[in-house]
Amino acid sequence: MKRSHRSILSRLDDAVRWTGIPARVADDLSDDPSVKHRPLRWVPLLQIAFSCVLLAICLFWRLEVSPGAVVGVMTAMGLSIITGGWLVHTGGPLGKPSCEDDEREAALRKNSFLFCFGLLAVLNCLGQPILLIVSHWQDWPTAYSSIVAFSALILNVTLLGTLPTLYASWNFRQLPKE
Amino acid sequence: MSLHNRIAVFRAERGISRRQLAEAVGVNPQTIGYLERGDYTPSLELALKIARHFGVAVEMLFSLDRFPMTFGRAGEGE
Repeated sequence: MKRSHRSILSRLDDAVRWTGIPARVADDLSDDPSVKHRPLRWVPLLQIAFSCVLLAICLFWRLEVSPGAVVGVMTAMGLSIITGGWLVHTGGPLGKPSCEDDEREAALRKNSFLFCFGLLAVLNCLGQPILLIVSHWQDWPTAYSSIVAFSALILNVTLLGTLPTLYASWNFRQLPKE
Repeated sequence: MSLHNRIAVFRAERGISRRQLAEAVGVNPQTIGYLERGDYTPSLELALKIARHFGVAVEMLFSLDRFPMTFGRAGEGE
């Protein structure tokens, strides 16, 4: 039987390489990284529109199926939105690690997140009391309230993931070549 | 109030690319482009670093007023 004489440290190195993180970091730090951080002006808008449509469907079209099935479908849709939001974030102008930002990029990142958190705060401060009042007024059943709340959560997560990228992308101005 | 600068003039005169200047002062080359176009106002630290790189006083590179059009070398006789 073949015995391996490799040390624990070399095995740990292999494990770290297996994750792909060292290759990704080396690629990011190279002069010509394979992942380009381009402005994404329309993809985040599509994601947000999709989440808004989902919330509208849940609000105005009372689903006549079992709550378990609805929750399953909503979970799948939510995961797809979150994955999409993550892709938008990593591929957009804010996708690179913040530790590599210079002062202009750090200021842009700060402004993007301030815009995002400000807008989210306003939307939630207005939306939550409205939903609460409407649900009480129309006497929503628990399953229906849960579905609406879940779709509102998906919209929140989508906005959190896409708004900073959207803000940074629309503030991006192409520079002429030297 | 906008901040005017002559980074592009100094850079062109010394034959330095955006990338070279960016590496010298520790920023992204795009940031130099944004500075030259006046789309970004630098911190005091970055302004001083750029001025030190060109070997001139910071007032010769940055001004609150428009720079007069000159036909000599940038920085001469000032």
